[in-house]
Amino acid sequence: MRKILYNFLFVEIVKALKLVFSHYFVKEVTLQYPHEKTALPNTQRGALCLLRYEESQEERCVGCDLCGAACPSACITVVSEVDEKDGYVVRRYASSFDIDITKCVFCGFCVEACPVNALAMTKMYEYSTINKRDLIFDKTKLYDIGEKLHREAKGYLVAHNQEGEDEEVVSQYRYRFPSSRQEEPEQEEKK
Amino acid sequence: MAVENPPTEEASLPLLKTEEVLLNLGPQHPSTHGVLKVIVTLEGEKVIKSEPVLGFLHRGVEKIAEQITYNQFIPHTDRLDYICAMYNNFAYVRAVEKLLDITVPWRAEYLRTIVAEVQRIIGHLFWLGTQALDIGAMTVFFFTFRDREVLLDLFVDLCGARLTTSWYRVGGVERDFTDKIIDDLYRFIDSFPEKIAEYDALLIRNRIWLARTKDIAVISGEDAIAYGLTGPTLRGSGVDYDLRKVSPYGAYGHVEWTVPLGTKGDTYDRYWIRMEEMKESSKIIRQCLDQLPKGPYKAYLPKFVAPDKERVFTDMESMIYQFKLYSGGFNAPEGDIYCGTEAHKGELGFYIVSQGGGKPYRMKIRAPSFVHMGAFDHMAKGYMIADIITIFGTYDIVMGECDR
Amino acid sequence: MSSVGKQSAAPDAVKKMVELTIDGQVVTAEEGSSLFNAVKWTGTQLPAMCYHYSFSPFGSCGLCLVEVEGKKHNVRACTAKVTEGMVVSTGTDKIVEARKGAVEKHLKTHPLDCPVCDKDGQCELQDMAYDLEVYDIKEGKRKQIPEDTRSLVLDFNMERCILCGQCINICKEVQLVDALCFYKKDKQKHVGAHGGETLYCEFCGDCLAVCPVGAIVSKFSKYTFKPWQLKKTETTCSFCSDGCSITLETNARDIMVVTSELSYESKWGFDVEPGEGHGGICVRGRFGFQYVMSDARLSKPLVKTEGQFVEAPWFKTLIDIGKRLNDIKATHGGQAIAGLISGRCTNESVYLFQRLMRSILETNNIDTAARYGHMNSVLALRETVNIGGATVDEKQLALSDAILMIGSNLTETNPITALRVKASMSEFAGKLLVADDTETKIMKLATHPLQIAPHSEGDLIQGLVKAVIAKGLTDPDFIEKQSEAYAALKEAVARISETRVSEKTGLEWEKIEEAAILLAQSKRGVLLWGEDIVSEKGAYQNVRRLIDLALLTGLFRKEGAGILPVCEENNEQGAVDMGAVPEFLPGQVSYAAEDARRQFANAWHASLPESTGGSPGLSLSEIIEAAHRGEIKALYLVGENPLGTLPASMKVREALEKIDFIVCQDPFMSETAEIADVILPAATFAEKEGTYTNIMGAVNRVTEAFDPRGEARPDWKILTDLSKHLGHPVQYHSVEEIRREISQMVPGYYAQDKVHETSDLPENFAEDIPERYAAPAQDTRKNTMTLSLQQVLYHSGKLTTRDKGLMKIYDKAVLHISEADAEALGNLQTGDSVNIKSPLGQLEVQIEITPELPKGLVHYPVHFNDPPVKDLLATEIDAKSKVIYFKTGAVTLEPSASLDLRVITPEDAAEDTMEDAGKNAAKNLSAEDAA
Repeated sequence: MRKILYNFLFVEIVKALKLVFSHYFVKEVTLQYPHEKTALPNTQRGALCLLRYEESQEERCVGCDLCGAACPSACITVVSEVDEKDGYVVRRYASSFDIDITKCVFCGFCVEACPVNALAMTKMYEYSTINKRDLIFDKTKLYDIGEKLHREAKGYLVAHNQEGEDEEVVSQYRYRFPSSRQEEPEQEEKK
Repeated sequence: MAVENPPTEEASLPLLKTEEVLLNLGPQHPSTHGVLKVIVTLEGEKVIKSEPVLGFLHRGVEKIAEQITYNQFIPHTDRLDYICAMYNNFAYVRAVEKLLDITVPWRAEYLRTIVAEVQRIIGHLFWLGTQALDIGAMTVFFFTFRDREVLLDLFVDLCGARLTTSWYRVGGVERDFTDKIIDDLYRFIDSFPEKIAEYDALLIRNRIWLARTKDIAVISGEDAIAYGLTGPTLRGSGVDYDLRKVSPYGAYGHVEWTVPLGTKGDTYDRYWIRMEEMKESSKIIRQCLDQLPKGPYKAYLPKFVAPDKERVFTDMESMIYQFKLYSGGFNAPEGDIYCGTEAHKGELGFYIVSQGGGKPYRMKIRAPSFVHMGAFDHMAKGYMIADIITIFGTYDIVMGECDR
Repeated sequence: MSSVGKQSAAPDAVKKMVELTIDGQVVTAEEGSSLFNAVKWTGTQLPAMCYHYSFSPFGSCGLCLVEVEGKKHNVRACTAKVTEGMVVSTGTDKIVEARKGAVEKHLKTHPLDCPVCDKDGQCELQDMAYDLEVYDIKEGKRKQIPEDTRSLVLDFNMERCILCGQCINICKEVQLVDALCFYKKDKQKHVGAHGGETLYCEFCGDCLAVCPVGAIVSKFSKYTFKPWQLKKTETTCSFCSDGCSITLETNARDIMVVTSELSYESKWGFDVEPGEGHGGICVRGRFGFQYVMSDARLSKPLVKTEGQFVEAPWFKTLIDIGKRLNDIKATHGGQAIAGLISGRCTNESVYLFQRLMRSILETNNIDTAARYGHMNSVLALRETVNIGGATVDEKQLALSDAILMIGSNLTETNPITALRVKASMSEFAGKLLVADDTETKIMKLATHPLQIAPHSEGDLIQGLVKAVIAKGLTDPDFIEKQSEAYAALKEAVARISETRVSEKTGLEWEKIEEAAILLAQSKRGVLLWGEDIVSEKGAYQNVRRLIDLALLTGLFRKEGAGILPVCEENNEQGAVDMGAVPEFLPGQVSYAAEDARRQFANAWHASLPESTGGSPGLSLSEIIEAAHRGEIKALYLVGENPLGTLPASMKVREALEKIDFIVCQDPFMSETAEIADVILPAATFAEKEGTYTNIMGAVNRVTEAFDPRGEARPDWKILTDLSKHLGHPVQYHSVEEIRREISQMVPGYYAQDKVHETSDLPENFAEDIPERYAAPAQDTRKNTMTLSLQQVLYHSGKLTTRDKGLMKIYDKAVLHISEADAEALGNLQTGDSVNIKSPLGQLEVQIEITPELPKGLVHYPVHFNDPPVKDLLATEIDAKSKVIYFKTGAVTLEPSASLDLRVITPEDAAEDTMEDAGKNAAKNLSAEDAA
């Protein structure tokens, strides 16, 4: 009899409705994107960027293409070149550095691989465009992102154990291009 | 349920003439969980034969694996069962570690276990939501996704991505837990029982739910074993087989928990098991968090595990290992191994053939979704066309894993 | 079986074997051989960085340590010799630790350069550190040595160097150049040129290839690539006729670096058979790749309209060419059309070209670069012993026990063949006899150097023939089978006076006799001749005499013995084999042979032009003559540049200007292209498929590394497309199809091991013997200098002058002059200028004093046209082979007052001598005129 009544009065439906409608009084969790945005943690693996050394504003990247070798989706193309000064090579750098962001899987392996911490990820995730060619991030764009979102990039490196937090300690661990060639002309002059 | 066979030979009555109907279900059907196509032979509304057609999401992942190094394949495993990337990572790195014959520090084992169980909860929540949605209960979907979101935020905190996590590494994990993550996890498992009560309130006596799940897609224990079913689909038929218990890995051997078992092997039993497993998972997580040992989160094995970044800048040998490991990968020994892991869908196994060098010679992925599709015809036979959808759901199939 | 270092023993020498135990396994090994190799043959590969199979073990890296019973310390296996009853263990923990220690020692001083180092990714130090699991090493001290960037090509980074000595050893023992050494500077050990000077050597780059770390770096590709970025394409070098296998390492558009087997093949030498090369390449192959990416490359078809070249689309251009050629054929007949193809085109292109010319344009006026010399060898051999080229291969050359090299500066022209020759001497204890007028590099190394007076090669050969016969060392087989020829020879040489030969050649008769004895008594003798024989006056007769010598000494008969005529361009041999000369159809079948012609005509569904009056078609010189007469209306040039190659006395420009329609198919704008009507951009060797045939008859594959630059197309494609517009389309869709046709028409052409069967001598062989050995006319030249155009190691033809890299290494358009002559001219120094004068004009050139040259001889690199020294030379055409000789000529030198390089060669200066140019210009050029 009770079961019949239970079935007849749709008790379970009423119960469920009660639960559902009780949620009218719960604090809402929905964010009204794009007017509101979530706060992302430093670990967020977003768009990649290239970094410069803080003190000298020199490009960190030496164009070794280890990021390209580590990339599981082969989306990084690096062409390296040398800077010559007075006939001596003073710097190796990437003359072109393209990341096909349409192929990128945002795994962060390139950042892990980079032996000079030139690459970092940012929290940037809004890069939709009407021209798909814009989605191949070239060197200029990557450095621009790196400049604009420098704090996020640094935060990423720290959060992912790529770089220490203490600036002074970090600057000691710095890759230096074999610089001895600068001294050579002087030595010859001495002789 | 039984539908009488309609008279087929009475040609004199054309209006009553019925015959078998071939119905193409999918691959664009919204409730086929991706791009699955099933060719269903119907007699009236009764399914007499169903033939799943796979391969619409085939990306040649196994072949890709032969072209890239072991480490580079980790992001590709994210995209197998894209709902539960962490567990795929786990299964894969376990297989590679078995091939390399290396052990992982204890802290890493615990971290791995915790995240794997969080992933199991996410997987089951996702299943619950979509299964209820398939049947027509929309609210459950919102509720489970709300809670899943909390855990995904935790993943973002942990590794920077919600779904494509790539957090596990051969020899450990990518990043240690922070205190915030541990606090959040405690908070979540403290409040989780309430949430489960909410889902129960919505479903456990819901007559539509019961009508659509009870006695649907029944499979006996023997048949389940014969079809190679694993995970909740197998345990729903009362077979006590859970790899975490049978051959414990991670920290599963160090915590207390039980394996819930069904009795009838119908959709409802499988639902019940998943609900129980979520409870067990939160138990495991709590114990692991309590026991979490101190120590390194990745092994110090320069030959296989990339060195710390700081050392790369200062040590010649670390620099060399960094370049060797990222450009050519580590040198795996020759041989072949199979390593199965209990993912929330069932046994996810990786079979790797190595001929030495940095890349696998061949890799085979034993995806539970794929194996489960083999039993589809058997389980769908004799039920109504409308039940087909719930049968997809009861396996918890993900086509990314199924088609690979 | 492998050569253990440099033991220098004949390959058939008997070796004593000893027994020893390695890791419990009993093995036998040659006594005195390296323990390293004995261990290697048990299947255990010891790690090593300083070891390379091609030279003797050095023992500097300390990785190949083993334990030997009875020895207190660990033993370096590479330098240890096997002895009877030795007990060796290779894998104990103690050994492994010691090896780790050896690597740690290197790592401690190594800079953290991996991110920029070019070797990263194929670095042996990286591999060793990884394989031996070296980690947690103690802090070391960097060497802090600045990089040595003084050399033109190679940079030495001594910080990265592990002092393994491979570079030094390969230079010393394989190249026999010995340019590198260890030297001390600031208490640090360096590698570099002797005495720490700036390195200027042959720049073969083998040191670069064997360097296990990034200590030696190529300037041309420094810091621009990482190995995993590059695609490797194995192909054949396009410069000299050695046909070395090279690997082009390319990114999408550019060649980044060229390597060879040496860089990648196992350094342990497992499968290397004795006599096989070490897989190195020379300076041209390794560093001469930049011309492919040159900005000067033609990118679009150019059509001359109103005196200006205008870019035009391919399709229209080809239609126009087809129309013009068809018109000319219709109005003037096929004889009015001529074609020239370069000796650098692939066999398939040459085959297709001659098919097009013969079957569609119905002309047999085709010729190739072999007409500058190599045709002498081919025709003489074809006429006598009925073979078309060399009869030895690389391995036989290296294993030979006596090599007589006449008139060839082999180290400059064919450096890798020269290595085989060097190996025969240094590795297999062979004798090397070098006869040349200059003291060349190879002569300095030779066991029997025979420096002869200029232009006395013919006399020397006569003397050798006489000595062989006089000493009774003639091959008995020859006497028996060719008694008539032998008798004629014997009679003819009897008239040669020994003293006259000695006088002419400047060699004592005993020396000539000794050479003759060595060659005649050798088991595996090789007779090698080069450009000084084939492209100098009287070449055909000289080659005939050399063939006599080879016959008398039995070189054609003995196993492993033979002859090796050397030619210049990479596919001259192939061009002749493919029938790009009027005399031959493909397969060197005589064009006059009716059957063969019918067979080809049937295969090509066409009729071939008749061979009339003994001359089947016009050769190069005849084409130019005919053009002068206005008989040639159209000329099709494939990569050939007669204007740039032939001296002004041929009046090529005037001849070409009389031709109505010239099509030039070339990767670059050449001198000839400038006066052409249509220029078609062609692909370079890196951009096309095909095969090259080297001097030894081996057919080597050329593989495409990337798409051609601009709109350039490979030759075969252009010719196939053109055939459609000529109205007779040839149906080839790929090079493979042409290759298949060639294999059908010339069976066995692509075979790996070709058999060089000589046939019996023709019946009339004895006829011209008296003429050949008649005393030559009195030499009228006196008190004049001889100018000779010579090839330089760093260049190949005119092609490499387009190459940035090789021009950086060598761009000296200078006159090489002997010390004595420089002194006679008034104590001139290197860098001074002289006026060089001939009846054809005078020029001012810089000089460089070269001690190797004898008095009275000056050399000028043939590759350079600025100043156009070649225009001072008269030409002479061989009556028999129609080869154009312009390699040498008489000149006078006087010190010049001014320093500006002006050219005073207007025609009026020598108008009278220019008459009837091409036929007897050289005859007019006598010493009296010059004086």
